[in-house]
Amino acid sequence: MDFLIVTYCLYLAISVSLTVWVARTLFRNGRIFLVDVFHGNESLADSVNHLLVVGFYLVNLGYVSLALKLGYDVTTARGSIEALSQKVGVVLLVLGAMHFFNLYVFSRIRRRSVLEIAPPPVSPDACIARAR
Amino acid sequence: MLTVLYDARCQLCRKARSWLEDQPKYVPLEFVAAGSDDARRLFPGLDPASTLEDLTVISAEGGVYRGAKAWVMCLWALRKYREAALRLSTPEAMPVARRLIAWVSRNRLWLSSTMESLGLEGRSR
Repeated sequence: MDFLIVTYCLYLAISVSLTVWVARTLFRNGRIFLVDVFHGNESLADSVNHLLVVGFYLVNLGYVSLALKLGYDVTTARGSIEALSQKVGVVLLVLGAMHFFNLYVFSRIRRRSVLEIAPPPVSPDACIARAR
Repeated sequence: MLTVLYDARCQLCRKARSWLEDQPKYVPLEFVAAGSDDARRLFPGLDPASTLEDLTVISAEGGVYRGAKAWVMCLWALRKYREAALRLSTPEAMPVARRLIAWVSRNRLWLSSTMESLGLEGRSR
């Protein structure tokens, strides 16, 4: 049994599944957020959401692929599990960092959108008619 | 749109006007010299003497804001300073802002001449 190939296959299966899971979470919950940011414009929100998710997949699957190679041989089940835990651990950290970065970007977009429609924070001292 | 009635005799006020005009805005600002014929024509209901004492801002709906509130409204109109305007208008910050702005307003002519003598004149309009 070639433990290295099995390790690689498990690594890819786990990493790709995790990436898809996080991407779908972002897609579903990010949509609600974006519709609010774009003041109800659903088609624009869907469009931006889709673009962001594509970028997310590109970066994360790219990383997963680049980080695949182990660099040493694995000949036992123990070796396989240890190698897997290391590789998957780093993938999870990268996914986590990307996830928080996305949330940060979303919150900046939302803050700008909220500011744009913020009404005057003070009330007038008096009211007059304008001669125009 | 907001109309800003400012003291055109005061160098400090003219500099502030230049600065405000240069800033990117959410809401356009129109500047009219307080106490001028234009001001009287546009706002017949406003006492010219009071508009010369304190910065006065009038909204499109006819709301009149004076002193610190007028300054908050100017900042609210600016893209880079709207958030600062929201923070300044909290119950904690507003009294401090009000005192500071009232002090600057009372001493603006003195401040202007000090700035001039220190060579801090900018371009005036």
